[in-house]
Amino acid sequence: MKVAVAGKGGSGKTTISATLSRLLARRGHPVMAVDGDPNPNLGVALGMSRDRLEKMVRVPKDVMEMKEEGDVRRLVMARPIEEVTAEYAMPAPDGVDLMVMTGVDHAGAG
Amino acid sequence: MRGLLGELATGTNGETMTITDMEASIEHMSRATIRHVDAMLMVTEPYFRSLETVGRMAPLAQELGIEHIWAVANKVRSPRDEEIIRSYCAEHGVELGVVVPWDEAIQEADREGRALMDYDPAAPAVVAVGGIADLVEGKAGSNGRGDQG
Repeated sequence: MKVAVAGKGGSGKTTISATLSRLLARRGHPVMAVDGDPNPNLGVALGMSRDRLEKMVRVPKDVMEMKEEGDVRRLVMARPIEEVTAEYAMPAPDGVDLMVMTGVDHAGAG
Repeated sequence: MRGLLGELATGTNGETMTITDMEASIEHMSRATIRHVDAMLMVTEPYFRSLETVGRMAPLAQELGIEHIWAVANKVRSPRDEEIIRSYCAEHGVELGVVVPWDEAIQEADREGRALMDYDPAAPAVVAVGGIADLVEGKAGSNGRGDQG
């Protein structure tokens, strides 16, 4: 089950994402929390220690590559997902795993 | 991030619940990313500009074929706040999933740099987010991964 949490800046989506992640983990689900915000702060909202947050490495863009299939362009994994999570996911409270993505490239936006 | 999001749950363990805190809006996201999502939560505050964001995102999410799309009303202080969000959602054909009340505990937790769950796991906002967890669990049970690749 893949859930995306969106909303205008300041709407509280990060607090909701973090709380939802921890509640689902407490209910026994394996949870991967993914920070896709260009200004990541999901780790703090999850209650990770400063220490651990400072050690986090963002998932680099090159874990994905663009494949052309006819006129359809698809992003596919350039490395096995297990390898990526093993390298970049950090444990957060209640057994949640956190990965922080590298800011996406729409530099012109905003 | 893009397609990575799509690979996460299926690639590791089908039972994994992936919760992605997105960019402020999904409007400039590629279809490749968002297409793999089973559910979209659109968090909104009870004022017009916040609701407008939902109004713009919802049709896009529907067009991309995301199965479950919910608005989540946040920072709701009064019945009037709730009514503003309810009527906007009704007008725009968006299902309102859960109403999260205004909760001082969130500001207090923020001030201390702590997680809301650690600051007060019984806070009203946490209880409300439990309702979102119910929704997500319900859909996870009913349609599994439902991914066409």
